[in-house]
Amino acid sequence: MALPLPSAEWYSKEPPSTVGVRARSFVPSMPRREDAILMTNEQRIPRPNAEALREMNDEMLISIFQSGDRDVYRILVERHQERIRNLLYSIFHDRTFIDDLSQEVFIKAYQALPRFRFEASFYTWLYRIAVNKSRDELRKKKLRRFFSFQTLDEGFDGEISSRLSVPPENRDTQELVSLGLQTLPEKFRTAVVLKDIDGLSYEEIAEVMQCELGTVKSRISRARSMLKKSLKPLLEEVKS
Amino acid sequence: MKRMNEERWKLFFSLYVDEVLSKEGQALVEDRLKSDAPARAYVEELRRLKALLSSKQKLVPDIGFATRLSAALEEQKMDERSLLPFPRRYLPAVTALTAVILVVTGVYINTNKGQFSHFFSEKSQAVRDVYEKNVLQGSLLPLFSKVDKDQALQFSLFGTLALDDKSETALRVDEQTEKGYRIEVGKDFKKNTPITFDHFLAEVKPTVEQKYIIDSLLELTGHRIESSVLIGDNNIMAIAPDLPRLNRMMVTNIASCLEPPQRIRFERLLEVNDAPYSVSSRSVPDGKKVHVLQKIPTLRRNNDFVIITPDTMMYSRIQVDFDSLRRRMEKDFLKIELHREALLKKMMAKDFQRIRRNIALPIPPMVGSEEFFSVEISVPGEENEQQHMRVVIQPRVRKQGINPESLPRSIRIHRWNDTAATPANTVP
Repeated sequence: MALPLPSAEWYSKEPPSTVGVRARSFVPSMPRREDAILMTNEQRIPRPNAEALREMNDEMLISIFQSGDRDVYRILVERHQERIRNLLYSIFHDRTFIDDLSQEVFIKAYQALPRFRFEASFYTWLYRIAVNKSRDELRKKKLRRFFSFQTLDEGFDGEISSRLSVPPENRDTQELVSLGLQTLPEKFRTAVVLKDIDGLSYEEIAEVMQCELGTVKSRISRARSMLKKSLKPLLEEVKS
Repeated sequence: MKRMNEERWKLFFSLYVDEVLSKEGQALVEDRLKSDAPARAYVEELRRLKALLSSKQKLVPDIGFATRLSAALEEQKMDERSLLPFPRRYLPAVTALTAVILVVTGVYINTNKGQFSHFFSEKSQAVRDVYEKNVLQGSLLPLFSKVDKDQALQFSLFGTLALDDKSETALRVDEQTEKGYRIEVGKDFKKNTPITFDHFLAEVKPTVEQKYIIDSLLELTGHRIESSVLIGDNNIMAIAPDLPRLNRMMVTNIASCLEPPQRIRFERLLEVNDAPYSVSSRSVPDGKKVHVLQKIPTLRRNNDFVIITPDTMMYSRIQVDFDSLRRRMEKDFLKIELHREALLKKMMAKDFQRIRRNIALPIPPMVGSEEFFSVEISVPGEENEQQHMRVVIQPRVRKQGINPESLPRSIRIHRWNDTAATPANTVP
């Protein structure tokens, strides 16, 4: 039996924005690779060229991915890797560690993408994975520090405090901002990074952090207050 | 204006900076800012902070990231594939098949649970029956009614004790491994030359004091043997699992109370008669305590016995009043002796074999060859027993003995100091 062919407008169709409805049900599904091998030349759908793929939005690329063409994942990675790496760098402030962690985030996303239900945008979904991953990693770090018999104050935070006390003329502003962020507890740090560095809306942050909107607002306000205190000399300098 | 606490104002200022306040909220904040200079400074600082954070330098894009990720994904796929013994696409089918098999097995077991429970409880029921019919009815008699010095010496030196006058059947204890013993009852043992106490005295030449000590030791051993092997109706036999230790203990004690030249003669006597133990001396470091004699209790304290019948075996605690038994045996000596012999004959001859053939179980759990049966006992934690002793008693490399491999079946009891009833384990 001949497989149903997608219509000519297949690629131009936008997935519906209705929450809870799978976009794929509206979009004719691409034949699987295994089936495509058995097709005749007439039946075979021409694969969009790289340019066309790059112009598609995330949701359409995910639809293609879910239809069996796993190669499109590379485009999604290229599109979002920078944001994810920057987010993780803002949270951890450790370049050596970021590559591995980003890779883990994208591997996890690759494994979960076949089950992606288009209820949220891809990048908030990806952010959620990254935030969860960073939480796990911070928990592990805390455990490692605990088992190395080093208290939190004496260890990591103590180091940051000493670095922040260096005279302003000898410090790099970017470095100081990063160090200031490190002094915040994880939930405040993530919230303020998502808001002020990544520019997400309050609603998106609530979705990424899986908490109430009011909680997000309060966390960001408190994070800014704390950060204001730790970066006071720098803020004075900026003012002058 | 409704009064608000400072934290709430800070939240409002934060939202004001982000321009997400409603019109009313915005008007409220602006009203306050007009009249409150510190509040204005706070908002100003928030704006500077926001600008500082948003101007934070981004990382340089990593061109090779996607390629490295592809390689990592490929590697992971390979790992996943190598974990499965079949192609990954068959995984759902295999899972479904396994689930179906499990469900079918579960349903089958559930519908036939009566049969299964019967099968598993049959053995324990048999053990319980034996215990109730034989042990609780109090029909046990000591197998050895009167062990004299010569018999005690024979047991001490060779680990064998004749069960009849012609020494055709015997009970034998044998140290098989460093940690275990074997108790055997049967006919086809290598017969050792009987060594009487007089013969021992003539060969070893102990002094008068040594003779008295050895004499009393043998008397104690005799009592101990009497209380260690019991026999009852329905082919039941109860053996104290620590009986084999008595053998080595006695050789140690005899050797300990001898002087070096006498000990050499004693060792020669053991060697010539192919006794299971050899005696050697060693120097003990200063300050170490030297035990001369090991204490031999006349009666067993813990009353644990291995109860053996032709088709079952269990481990149990039996309270036996040996004093009243002895009195009864002295009173009706002949009658009891005849009964004892009859029981023994019945056990060693046809009945054992007949019962064995009637056993419905695929492997009879407790019968040896045609001529004897044996019980192996593992006794843990005895390596250091002779650590501080001047005289060391070691199992002799036997010239001729029963090869455990050649036995068709025997019973092994592990952890015999556990008081719970232990079902029989077969060793092919």
